Parts: sequence; C-alpha cells; structure tokens
Amino acid sequence: MADKAAAILAGLGGADNIEEIEACITRLRCEVKDGSQVDEAALKAAGAHGVMQQGAVVQVVVGPEADTLAEDIEDLM
Amino acid sequence: MTLQVLSPVEGTALPLSEVGDPVFAQAMVGPGIAVDPARGAGDAVAPIDGTVVTLHPHAFVVATDSGAAVLVHLGIDTVQLKGDGFTLHVVKGETVRARQRMISWDPATIEAGGRSPVCPVIALDATAEALTGLRQPGQVAAGEPLFTWQR
Repeated sequence: MADKAAAILAGLGGADNIEEIEACITRLRCEVKDGSQVDEAALKAAGAHGVMQQGAVVQVVVGPEADTLAEDIEDLM
Repeated sequence: MTLQVLSPVEGTALPLSEVGDPVFAQAMVGPGIAVDPARGAGDAVAPIDGTVVTLHPHAFVVATDSGAAVLVHLGIDTVQLKGDGFTLHVVKGETVRARQRMISWDPATIEAGGRSPVCPVIALDATAEALTGLRQPGQVAAGEPLFTWQR
C-alpha cells in the first residue's frame, strides 16, 4: 500500500505539487499547484480505476482503499 | 455463492448510468443500481449482512466474511457537507444485519442544498456480468432486493 501511495503521489506531480488532498470513500480529491504535472497514465499504472481532472482539481478513483491511501500519502508529504 | 443486495432506502430505482457523477455512472468502482430516495427524513439501512468496513457520515461499505463489499453512497458530492445532516447509528467494525438502521438523513435537505440525493448502491470490484436480477426502474421499498451478486 505504501508503494501505491508513493506512485500516486508521484503521478500527482510529487509532494511539492499538492495543495490539498482528501479521501472520499471511492476517490482521492486533490488540489494541485500545477495541473500540467499530473500524469494520468502514471496514476492509472499505479492502480487508479480512473482519473478526472479539471484544471488544478484532480480526482483519482481508487476504490474503497481511498481513506488508507490518503493517510499513507500524507505520511509521505 | 449468491448474495442478495437490498435497497438501503425507499425511493425509485434507476440505472447507475443516470447518476450525475462519472465515477458511479461509468461503474468505475463497480456495477450496481441507484435509488432516488423518497423526500423526507428517513433511515438508510444495511443492504447485506456483514461488517461495517468503511463508515463516513454520507456513505458506508458493508462487507461479508468472504470479502464481498457493498458501497452505499447517500447523495452525490455529499462529502462536502462534512457530516452535516447525517446521524450515524453504527460504528466502523460493527457487525450488522441486512435492513439494520445505519444512518438517518433527509434527502429533501440535501436537495434543498443544491445536491442530488440519489444513492448509488455498488457491488465493489464486481464485474457487470456478476449481477443478475437487477431491479427494473421504478418504486422500491427499503429492504427490497435490488440485485443478486453471483460470486
């Protein structure tokens, strides 16, 4: 799980690119500084079921492990 | 093994594709059915026997011992309410019976706040083919079957 958290964090452009990240039951909702650094293919390779991005707001669909992943990602930041 | 999944709320059954959230409408976390709840204060009940493995004010997951997990999400984008308007009657880790009261809420209040109160009921990580007997669109009472999950 920690590896997955690291891969997702990287796909979001790294810790420096994260303004805010929170989990909602099926997905990570994330606000990033620079939306162009978000790598959708990398996020999917990390296990995301889907990625939705509107500018600086990114939703990474990861299923019900979102809560645990968000905690792991915050630990890495 | 087959698992009968019950409606958590009274309302109108709808195809998941009609839910205004692509995560649910495109079945990204699994197939299922949506229920547009009857307006007015009421309870959401457990859709299966199992353990409460995830619990938020606005959503929960109940899983069986064999790992089948059913997600009930009360309304769309309701995470933004931060629990306001939801009263929990269970705790995470608790063993529940199907039809047991889980959360009290008022779909009319959600709607008045500008959000959809529609409740996706999802067989997490299931394939579409695994669900049979999907309830046809129309009226459904809380505790009535929505679909059967073949596992």
